[in-house]
Amino acid sequence: METTLFIPALLTGIFCYLGAIESPWLFGMSGGFYIMGRPLVAGLLVGLAFGDVQAGVLCGLAVQAVFIANLSTGGATNSEITYADYGGIGLALATTKEPAVAVTLSVLLGQTFGLIFYNTRMALYSFWNNKAQHAAETNNTRGIVLNHLFYPQITTFLLRAVPVFLAIYYGSGLVEWLLANVPEVITKIISVLGGVLPALGIAMLMNIVIKSKIQLIFFFAGFVLLAFAGLSMIALVFISALVAYLYFIASNKSAATPIKETNSSNSDVFEDEDLF
Amino acid sequence: MDKLIEEQRLTKRELRQIWYRWGFTHLSSMSYEKLQAHAWAFSYIPFAEKYYKNDPEAKRRLLVRHSMFYNTEPQTGQIINGIVASMEEEIALGKNVPEELPVNIKATLMGPLAGIGDSLIQGIIVPILLSIAMGMAAGGNAIGPIFYILAYGILGPLISYLSFHYGYKLGVNAIDNIIGDNVKRITDAFNILGIMVVGGLAAGNIVLNSTLEIPMGESIRSLQSVLDGIFPKILPLSMVLLAWWLVSAKQMTATKVILILTAITTVGVVIGVF
Repeated sequence: METTLFIPALLTGIFCYLGAIESPWLFGMSGGFYIMGRPLVAGLLVGLAFGDVQAGVLCGLAVQAVFIANLSTGGATNSEITYADYGGIGLALATTKEPAVAVTLSVLLGQTFGLIFYNTRMALYSFWNNKAQHAAETNNTRGIVLNHLFYPQITTFLLRAVPVFLAIYYGSGLVEWLLANVPEVITKIISVLGGVLPALGIAMLMNIVIKSKIQLIFFFAGFVLLAFAGLSMIALVFISALVAYLYFIASNKSAATPIKETNSSNSDVFEDEDLF
Repeated sequence: MDKLIEEQRLTKRELRQIWYRWGFTHLSSMSYEKLQAHAWAFSYIPFAEKYYKNDPEAKRRLLVRHSMFYNTEPQTGQIINGIVASMEEEIALGKNVPEELPVNIKATLMGPLAGIGDSLIQGIIVPILLSIAMGMAAGGNAIGPIFYILAYGILGPLISYLSFHYGYKLGVNAIDNIIGDNVKRITDAFNILGIMVVGGLAAGNIVLNSTLEIPMGESIRSLQSVLDGIFPKILPLSMVLLAWWLVSAKQMTATKVILILTAITTVGVVIGVF
């Protein structure tokens, strides 16, 4: 058991480093954070490492639903997604292989250890930043390479691959014991919380896209098209594109071909936003 | 004379080098203090070797002005890297472009482009591709994640590449083109698309059901079925509106909102509402 766990645990730790937001190897955020960092992809990769792709994808699918709106703006994040993915799915595959266990562990790890490690690293990087700044001021291009790329990446490798490896290699026994001994109400709370947490990521997205309160009407429109009318996301995209296009036409105040004789009615509608 | 200057311009290869040096390492030394600052200096090292080999003072100024705090959406934001590359080229060739201009361009454009880029990438493209992939992955099918890897693996770098070259072509005239009136209409329209998709995400991905049973006349019905009859998914909707109010109006950090959501969930489970 111990020897068979070594390689999958090590691979999962390395994946956790490669999928990190600050990892450069897979074209920065494009292949790292946005691809390897997504729980659905993590499920496939961890499944491959543990030799059980189907269980991996099922765990990834369940965790992805919780983290659908995970995002990072200005370095602030609602949950450290790579520790959550690889720690949670890895530990689940090392123990019971149940998606519900993966979700519970991911939520727990993402909100606690993940955020602690993430903020520790952000603080440590200020140290390398100072050195890189100094290197720029003294025309030392080698210093920039070392302090922008080399040292920070060693730091993050140590803070990601090592803890995740250790957690899976030595932690699976602890997790099995916990699963057997934690009172039912706690697991119930965590599973309900897993359903509620996407609300935060979505709220952060709303904070980016909604510029004035009147625009909530578009949010409600999107919401009821799924909740009441039961449309799929793809159908919603086309309807939203239509609405966006109509807005684009309607907002063209200086159009050469006037639809109405005056522009006043047009501009009134949009000036209403200021009332809120 | 002019011919000489043309020969000194950045080659296609050197331009691509500036693009991918940023593309790979934009966040590799991210801290709250500097974020993507040093990736700029890093991407201009070959540039500095080419133009400022014999002018250490100008090289120093170049590296220092590209070590300042910087933060934007790094894929769509490549448009700024393109614009700045064309300006730095003009400066290096001795044209009449002040050295403060690239700094001002970065400071002016990084905010607006982060807004557009984040809503486009994190608000629209990634969640939609994931929604499709999750449907394909049902039952543990590996085709779902593979679809997502391929789709975003092509789209992400492509957006980055096109943005960079578009920015380079815009060059010094960029400001009018990027914060002009017409562009504002387009981004507003995209914004509406984003808001509606986010509304759909809220309906499709937040799960909260009440397990409470309430007496209705002689029979006992579950509260959830009553709620579904009035307004389906009203509980997820109220949760997301609460979270949004806390984040936007109350300016709370993500961690605080998590604690509040956890407290509500805990109380709800303990008293038997959820």
